[in-house]
Amino acid sequence: MRLANVVGTRPQLIKAAALQPALRQRHDEVFIDTGQHWDEAMAGTFFRELGLRPPDKILGIGGGTSAEQTGRMLVALEATLRAVAPDAVVVYGDTNSTLAATLVAAKLNLPVAHVEAGLRSFDRRMPEEINRIVTDHLARWCFAPTEAAVANLAAEGLTTEVHLVGDVMRDLAARTLSEVRRPSALAGIAGGGLRTGEFLFATVHRVENRAPDAIRGWVGLLDTVARADRPVVLALHPGTREAMDALGVVPSTNVFVVEPLGYRSSLAAQLHAAAVLTDSGGVQREAAWLGTPCLVLRSSTEWVETTEGVAASSVLVGLDAGKARDALDRLAPPDRAPAEAARRAREQTIETDGATESIARLLA
Amino acid sequence: MPHHLAHVIGARPNFIKAAPVIRALRERGVPQRIVHTGQHYDDRMSDVFFRDLEIPTPDVNLGVGSGTHGEQTAAAMVGLEREWVADPPALVVVYGDVNSTLAASLVAAKLGLPSAHVEAGLRSFDRSMPEEINRIVSDLLAELLFTTSPEAEGLLLATGVPAGRIRFVGNPMIDTLLGQRAKFDSGVERERQGLPETYGVVTLHRPSNVDDEASARAVVGALDGLSALLPLVIPLHPRGRATLDAAGLHDSERLRIVEPLGYVTFLSLVAGARLVLTDSGGIQEETTILDIPCLTMRPNTERPITVTHGTNRLVAPDEVVAAAREILAGPLRPTGPRPPLWDGHAGERIADEIVGWLAARAAGTAA
Repeated sequence: MRLANVVGTRPQLIKAAALQPALRQRHDEVFIDTGQHWDEAMAGTFFRELGLRPPDKILGIGGGTSAEQTGRMLVALEATLRAVAPDAVVVYGDTNSTLAATLVAAKLNLPVAHVEAGLRSFDRRMPEEINRIVTDHLARWCFAPTEAAVANLAAEGLTTEVHLVGDVMRDLAARTLSEVRRPSALAGIAGGGLRTGEFLFATVHRVENRAPDAIRGWVGLLDTVARADRPVVLALHPGTREAMDALGVVPSTNVFVVEPLGYRSSLAAQLHAAAVLTDSGGVQREAAWLGTPCLVLRSSTEWVETTEGVAASSVLVGLDAGKARDALDRLAPPDRAPAEAARRAREQTIETDGATESIARLLA
Repeated sequence: MPHHLAHVIGARPNFIKAAPVIRALRERGVPQRIVHTGQHYDDRMSDVFFRDLEIPTPDVNLGVGSGTHGEQTAAAMVGLEREWVADPPALVVVYGDVNSTLAASLVAAKLGLPSAHVEAGLRSFDRSMPEEINRIVSDLLAELLFTTSPEAEGLLLATGVPAGRIRFVGNPMIDTLLGQRAKFDSGVERERQGLPETYGVVTLHRPSNVDDEASARAVVGALDGLSALLPLVIPLHPRGRATLDAAGLHDSERLRIVEPLGYVTFLSLVAGARLVLTDSGGIQEETTILDIPCLTMRPNTERPITVTHGTNRLVAPDEVVAAAREILAGPLRPTGPRPPLWDGHAGERIADEIVGWLAARAAGTAA
């Protein structure tokens, strides 16, 4: 098949990187980047680190309001997909690029394959939830990562061409794990000097966490859990950082604010951290595969598997500093965390679901 | 605190559906604003159109204009977002299945504004129709879904729409039809077109019929055969007829091609016709209430109640002549059992539901 593979954000580029080798074995791929997150810094090491081919088409659409961004994507993708004339369009996750590519493909009567289908937070105030719902219902193939996702789709009447394939990111994490086991994998992060199990790794990127009250909330939370002997490395989305700076909020000196990390560095930071604090569904899952305790800085999550059950090492703490402190005392106490993290870095293994191979095979 | 509700309208059929809803809400004292995206604009949508149908003129026209699906949807989204960021309505009301419907549903959802979809739950199950895509998305994102026929509820429940959001209210398009019916004068309009007493009315606009060369040839063949049975009048926009012309369509004594007609003129002709051949959605419904036999030249319909309870029948182009012969041999004004609640009061029911919903929401009891 001739596949248009459409991405727009960093997480989507990473998912495309996970899937690309399997897709290209069986199909012709035209790789299209809307540019929703594009910046020059991403072009070089970011792609090399992932073994990702550069996009065949970069549409250069970033910024703007939600409607402006989606609107410009609709126009540009319509022209591009008409010209490319693929047999099917592959989309990922829940961004405006996902929504726009799906709407355009549906109107052009091109079948859509949705990778990471069926996730639901059941919170429609999240723009991502709107994008997910629309994309799942317009897709020909829904590739679901979990049983819960399959059940969500069934509850909305979606049962044909719904495939439980597992998580493509798990395949990529399994491929990359051996490259980040040694502490030297931490060398480039936050100026170096991080020691296994003696730091916390945090990421904040969601729009809901850019509101003034939310910013004060998570900065306060991170200040509470950061200590001189256990600093927080905080990888901030540029938009979030801008909002924080505009508000005049400055985290404590034990919080090191850094640019978003590349995929491999991020995996290394998660593997070697005492614990991870994040509002990202992706980071939440990676931490779970790596066995690293994870505090979720949201009130709900569409990845229920990682926060349910007695063995769960992932806890929803929202922006509640007290809850976060208690969870860390329980899951990653400073006296045990370094040994635990060192053991993980040596011994942790990730079983793959073979999701990427399944998707490539099912697209026929 | 938002106080008004916003109606989003993009094409003529939207106005015909919205008019009774807007009127009933005005009678109930609900502040409202009419946003015309400007998706369709022609001189038949002039002041006369609004005055004739007693439709209030729009408060704002976003001037979206024509374009590809992507371009139209994009322009409507940007314009609507600007409107509603400045002055967020308490509820967005969208109609039918045009690109403006889709755009308004998406923008409302992203801004966290509730939307109500009038004419919800229609499905042709044919995703090659862009309207089907628009319907699916607007139904998924609506908090209130107003349905025109009982089977819509089952279709919506099957897509996960909670039952509490669905209200079976009847068909507001029929409110307008019944309200305007006294103005229809079939005799005068028939004579103005120089038609004999027995004639047929044809409308064609679906890309699958008029843009594809092979389909257009089959359609023109059907029209030739049908016009041998009875004289036909077919309003056609010059823009939309290039492929039909190339397939051999030409104006003749038995097949009169005329400019698009106004609402009252067109329905006067329909009301006096022996039969109608169409590929449009609304005409299937209007002929059902006017007791005029209707042949719909499509493989499917999102309005099956017009077949089970009305005068509609689906035909392929090569079945048109045989089906027309059966109609001509049958009764003059066949009548079906009529769809329930197509009684001229759908707009009032919708307004009552909206008033109740707004009150419940203000009291904090609505989701």
